[in-house]
This record gives sequence, C-alpha cells and structure tokens, in this order.
Amino acid sequence: MSTILSLAIKYEHDVVAARQRARQIAWLLGFESQDQTRIATAVSEIARNAFTYAGGGRVEFAVEGRTAPQLFTVNIIDHGPGIAELPRILGGQYTSPTGMGIGILGARRLMDNFVITSGPGKGTVVTLTKILPRDIPAVTQERMNELVAALARQRPRTPIEEIQQQNQELLRALEELRSREEELRRLNGELEDTNRGVVALYAELDEKADHLRRADEMKTRFLSNMSHEFRTPLNSIQALTRLLLERSDGDLTPEQVRQVEFIRKASHDLTELVNDLLDLAKVEAGKIVVRPTEFEAANLFGALRGMLRPLLVNESVALIFDDTSGVPPLLQDEAKVSQILRNFISNALKFTERGEVRVSAALVDDGEAVAFSVADTGIGIAPEDQERIFQQFGQLENPLQRKVRGTGLGLPLTKKLVEILGGRITLASELGTGATFTAILPVRFAQAAAEPVAANPAQPDIDPTRLPVLVVEDSPEELAVYEILLRGSRYQVLHAATVRQAREMLRRIAPRAIVLDILLRGEDTWAFLAELKASDRTRDVPVVVASMVDDRHKGFGLGADAYVVKPVERGWLMTTLDSLTAAQRGRPVLIIDDDETSRYVVRQLLNGTRYETIEAASGAEGLERAREQRPAAIFLDLVMPGLSGFEVLDALRSDERTRGIPVVILTSKALEPDDHRRLDGKVTAVLSKSSSSREVACAALDFATSHTRS
Amino acid sequence: MERIPILKMGEFLLVTIQVDMHDRLALTLQDDLTEMIVKNRTHGVLIDISALEVVDSFIGRMLGNIASMSRVLDAATVVVGMQPAVAITLVELGLSLPGVRTALNVEKGMELLRGSLTATNGHARRQG
Repeated sequence: MSTILSLAIKYEHDVVAARQRARQIAWLLGFESQDQTRIATAVSEIARNAFTYAGGGRVEFAVEGRTAPQLFTVNIIDHGPGIAELPRILGGQYTSPTGMGIGILGARRLMDNFVITSGPGKGTVVTLTKILPRDIPAVTQERMNELVAALARQRPRTPIEEIQQQNQELLRALEELRSREEELRRLNGELEDTNRGVVALYAELDEKADHLRRADEMKTRFLSNMSHEFRTPLNSIQALTRLLLERSDGDLTPEQVRQVEFIRKASHDLTELVNDLLDLAKVEAGKIVVRPTEFEAANLFGALRGMLRPLLVNESVALIFDDTSGVPPLLQDEAKVSQILRNFISNALKFTERGEVRVSAALVDDGEAVAFSVADTGIGIAPEDQERIFQQFGQLENPLQRKVRGTGLGLPLTKKLVEILGGRITLASELGTGATFTAILPVRFAQAAAEPVAANPAQPDIDPTRLPVLVVEDSPEELAVYEILLRGSRYQVLHAATVRQAREMLRRIAPRAIVLDILLRGEDTWAFLAELKASDRTRDVPVVVASMVDDRHKGFGLGADAYVVKPVERGWLMTTLDSLTAAQRGRPVLIIDDDETSRYVVRQLLNGTRYETIEAASGAEGLERAREQRPAAIFLDLVMPGLSGFEVLDALRSDERTRGIPVVILTSKALEPDDHRRLDGKVTAVLSKSSSSREVACAALDFATSHTRS
Repeated sequence: MERIPILKMGEFLLVTIQVDMHDRLALTLQDDLTEMIVKNRTHGVLIDISALEVVDSFIGRMLGNIASMSRVLDAATVVVGMQPAVAITLVELGLSLPGVRTALNVEKGMELLRGSLTATNGHARRQG
C-alpha cells in the first residue's frame, strides 16, 4: 500500500478540502468524471460525519496492489465516541436527529467497497475502496511519486487558504499558549494558596505579639492598681497594730504584745514587697522620673549610715563606709542612688554572717563616672547564677537564703534603676568568698536639663509632736536662747538666718507662729513683715516681733500680732504663743473615706488629741457635711466609688462655703505626676496611709489649721 | 465574511454558486436568500450550480430546503445547470430533491418561472 496523501480534518473547511483532494486524486489516477464525482461525494459524506460527530479526524488516500486491478483506498479515521446504532444505520432503519441519515448508506452505494468499524469510545474507521479503471496502465511507484509531486504543486494556494492556514497555525499557537496559560494559572493558584498561608501565619504572629503586648501592659497596669488595693488593707493592719501597741485601748499581755509584733512585722514585709513590685511596675511602664540634684557622696553615706543602722542586728558584721574625699559633687537623682545603695547594702547584710560590709565610692572612666561598691564577706554567688539574681523572683537556693527570705525583686529593681540613671551594674563574686556589687553611675546625669533642681537646704527635722515656730534671727547666740526658752515646750524652733531663708522655709512648711527679729545682718525685716501680712498664704500666721528696737507702732501697723523688746522672757513667750496658736481650735475634723477601717484608724489616731472628728463614707456625703459643719480641716481619701477624691476636692474648692477649709489627702494610692498636678495648690498636705501615725496626723492638722486659706 | 452573492434579475433572484461551499456557507446562503425573497417580494429564484462538481447530501438537502422555504414565502425555486455526473451521484446517493424544480440553464429556468407565475396569478385571479 502506498499512501498518496494524508489530510487532517479539523475545521469545516477541511471537509471541502477533503472532497476536492479526493476528486483531484481520482482524476490524477485516471478515474472518469462520473467516478470522480462519486468518490468526492462519498469522501465528503464520511469526512463530514467525522467532523460533525467526532470533532475531527484524518483522511488518508492510498493505492493498493502493484498489478491491475489496483484499488484506490480512502481511510477516514476519527477518535470520536463511535457510532452507537451502526447496524440500524446500515440497515436503513435509522433516522438521524439532524435530519440527514443518508451519509453512510449513500457513500456505500457510491463506492465499490465500504468497510466501517466503530465502537463506543473507540472511534470510527471507514475504508472506502474504488477499483481503478482497467483500461489504464497500473500505477507504478514512479507514477506514484509523480502523483505526490503533482499534488504538492497543485496544492491550492488562494489567499483565503493562505490566511486559513495561517489562521490554523495561529490557532495551534493559541492552543499551546492557552495550555501554558492554564499551567501558569495553576502555578499561580498554588502560589496564591501558599501566599495566603504565609499571610495567615503573619496575621497569627501579629495577633500573638499583640496578645503578648497586651498581657504585658495588663501586668504593669495590674501592678500599679495593686498598689492601692493591696496597700489599703495593709496600711489598716499596720495602723491598727500600732494603735494596739500604743495601748490606746487598754493594756496588752506580754504574749499579746508578741503576737501583735509578729502581725506588724508580717504586714511590714508584705508592704515592702508591694512597694518593690510597684517600683518595678513603674520602671517598666517608664513612669520613673529622674530628678537630678547636686549632692556630696559623703552626705549620702552619712544618711545611709543612719538609715541602715537598724538593720545591723548581727554584731559579728560591721558596716563600714569608706572615705569619699576623692569623689566630686554629683549631679544625680540622690533618692535613687540612695535606694540603689540601700538595696545593695541590705542585700549584703542578709547574706553575710560574719565579717564586714564595706561601702565605697571611687572615680572611674577618667572622672566621668563614679563607682559605688558594696563589698561583703558573705556566701558569694556562683558565676553561673550571677545572671539569674537580676531576674525577677530569681532567688538562689542556699541555706542562708531560706533563713533571710526576701522579695526577689530588690536586685532586678536596682538594676533597672541603675540603667535609668545611665549607669551599669557589675558583680564580682565567687562562691564562699563574698561578693562585690558595683553601680557605675555617670558623675553628671546625662539627661539632666540645663537647670538642675536647686539643692534643698538642709531640711529641718520636723518633730510631728510639736508645733513649729519659725525664728528669724541672724545671731547664733540669740537663736540658742530661743531654743533654751522653748525646750520642753510644745513648740519646736525652726531657724532662718536671713529673709531669703525664711521665705524658702515658708514655701515648704507652715509654722504655727513666727518670731521675727527686725535687724538682721545687713537688712531689716519690716518689708518682710509687711509681705507676710499681705500674702494669703501667711496672713494668718501670727508674727511675734522681737527686737532690740522699740518701735511697736510701726510693728503693729504692719500687722505684727505681738511685740517684745529683747531680751525675751520665757513666761511671756509661752503665753503669747499659746494664745496666738489657740485661735483655730474648736471646730471638728471631717474624715471622708469609703473604707470603714481607714476611718476608724484616723478616728483612733485623733482620739485623745484636741481634734474632734466627724465622718462621711462617700464623697457626696462628705461635701454635704463640709457645707453644713464647716470643719476645721478635712481628711480626704482619693480613691472612692462614686465621687473620687479629686472630684470632691474640685467641688470643695468651687463652693464659696467650703473653699477655705484646708484639705489633707490621706491615700494609699501611689500618686502619679498627673495626680500631683491635679492636687497642686488645692491641698495642704498629702499623707500616705502607710505612714499615718498619731504624730503625723496631728502635725498635718496643725499645719493645715495654722494655714487656713482665706 | 465570505458569502455567495444573490443578484436581482428583473423580477427574479439569481444565485450563482461558483465555489465549493462548506456547510456553514451553505446555511448562510439559505438565510440570506430567504431574507432577500421577503425584502424584494420576489416570486422566483434561480440557483445556478453549473460550477459545482460535487453536491453531497448536505448541499443537496440545502437546495431542497431553499425550495421548500421559498414556496412557503410564495416564491418558486428552480435549480439550473446541474452537471450530469452530479445528477447521477445525487440519485445514487438516494437524494431525490423532492419539490426542487430543475432546468438545463438559466434561460430555461426563467422561462419555467414565468410560466408558473402566470399560471399561479391566473389561478389566483380566478380564486379572487
């Protein structure tokens, strides 16, 4: 069998091409005109079927046999679904739904032989055969080659066919493109899925981070809020135990005293823990404000020595402060440096059973920094544990540790404080040979603003049990006389040598009376007297003018409340002061606090003093009582349900009737800078419930009532 | 788009099929022609297939359909110029083209149409 031509049927035009080719080949093979038409028609029918029902196929033209009679064979092959009702079609009983149904039968009639094989899913092969005319010579291979060449030459090349062919090529290319595009789309889809996964993962991570952040915030907020919630009952416990130990309500048996002491000790420890936690929370929330002042290391060490003496219970341990003469004045937050050293020292004392705890200061870093070291001869810390002790609650296991339980917060807090002050902590220690903690702090706090807070002049230790009397006197001898005169009385001498110092003192404290010398070194105080009497703050403070000069008229004219020519006599001074300071008595003190225990504590504190108390359990009630009874002073709690202390204060200050009543804030809340701003200028004192003793309460009241606002 | 031209020849439409039509082209012709019949109110159509060397069952059926549709649209159809080989093949194929009138050439076809038109008119007149 030699194939002449093979033709694909893909498009409608190919059916036409197939029948044209069939006719052409038939002509070339020597078929007569009628047979050419028959062959072409039959091929057309079957090719159309292949196109219509199988979506396309292939037509192959061939000549079979070498000797006459040769056969012209046309195979039409498709890979369609096959013909289901072939027997019926061939039997002529079938009517096509397309209304045709004569294609196959017709083609069979037109050809000499017709073979069709078809099955469902296997496609269809139709073989059409026509015997070549007998009167022409047999088709040789040579003739066949000529034929093929002729067909190639005659290949119709009309422009439209050219375009069609290009079209087909284009369609093929498009087909390929589409499949590639499909592939790309699939890949893209996969990538998108992956991407979505990654995005979801990121979102999850974000969410986790957010959770962590919020948890951290909540921790800090919890710690801050805890200050109030925890401290209120702790303060009550401490105040009540103090009352018990003061035998305010009758005597205690020695055993009871021991028990109460234990209660007080326990509550004290717990308070310390709460305070440390609060400090830590403040540091973490970034609420710690550094207030650099200029101070001498020697003064700091002196203060520490006094402060820590009570901790020295073990006689085999010595607390030694080294000489600090090599250290220049520091510009640092003295309170925080003190706290750092206190923590170091108390820590050292805890873990040292015998030997010494040595505190020293030395210049390091070319004089840029000062290293405060606390060296002990205690149990020491193994190198592998040295990191851990700076972690919160990171306590080590050792026999001594169990004995001297701490909060586990001291060193972490210290470390944070040192960092805030721009310094660093070093630790040198070996197990069993003691430890040296060193805080290296810059000599001048880096962020110190251009103007450091002026160093406070030595604060007079105010004795809360006595009434402060400011003596403005330049001569030390005269001053000594006043101190002798008032020794043992209920008056305490506060001293100012110049008018400037006196103004400074008045800014911080409110004396119950002022003893004023007229002639100071290089200045007279007439103007100051006038100033005192002109100012709202000090107008009501009684002024006793004590002078070598007898100029009573001028003195009284300027507002002096008493006038005496030196020397001053004790009896006169006491009587005068008594009568001048007695003016404020008689009116009760109002306690506004929602916590009954707190009210009880204050009431007990003032029991037996010259102050009587009335109480209010809420802000609203307090306001009402203040308006009705015009108390001499008000103790006000800040954190209350309903009206808060701040709101009560604002209400008091906006009402004509209550504007002048002095207010003492008594709270367990740790005050924020914001709170201070809100209170500034509106209250006379802020007391912490934790420090409320009878003395302090009385002093605050004396201070307040001596300081009644106009 | 390729189309078989339809010419208006006096009162008749003349379609000369010069190319071997693929099936869709044949269907397009069918549509175009019915449209033209309506548009021109023609009563006769001549389809010249003298150039066709192959008329298979589809094209044959199409010719039959055109004839039937034209008749419904009150137009007579005459297929002219069919080659003898085509005629023989159609018969062998089993396609008898019922209702399709044929004529040897265009001239004879026009005569045929005129004749039948007159007869129909006369019939119509008698009816009216």
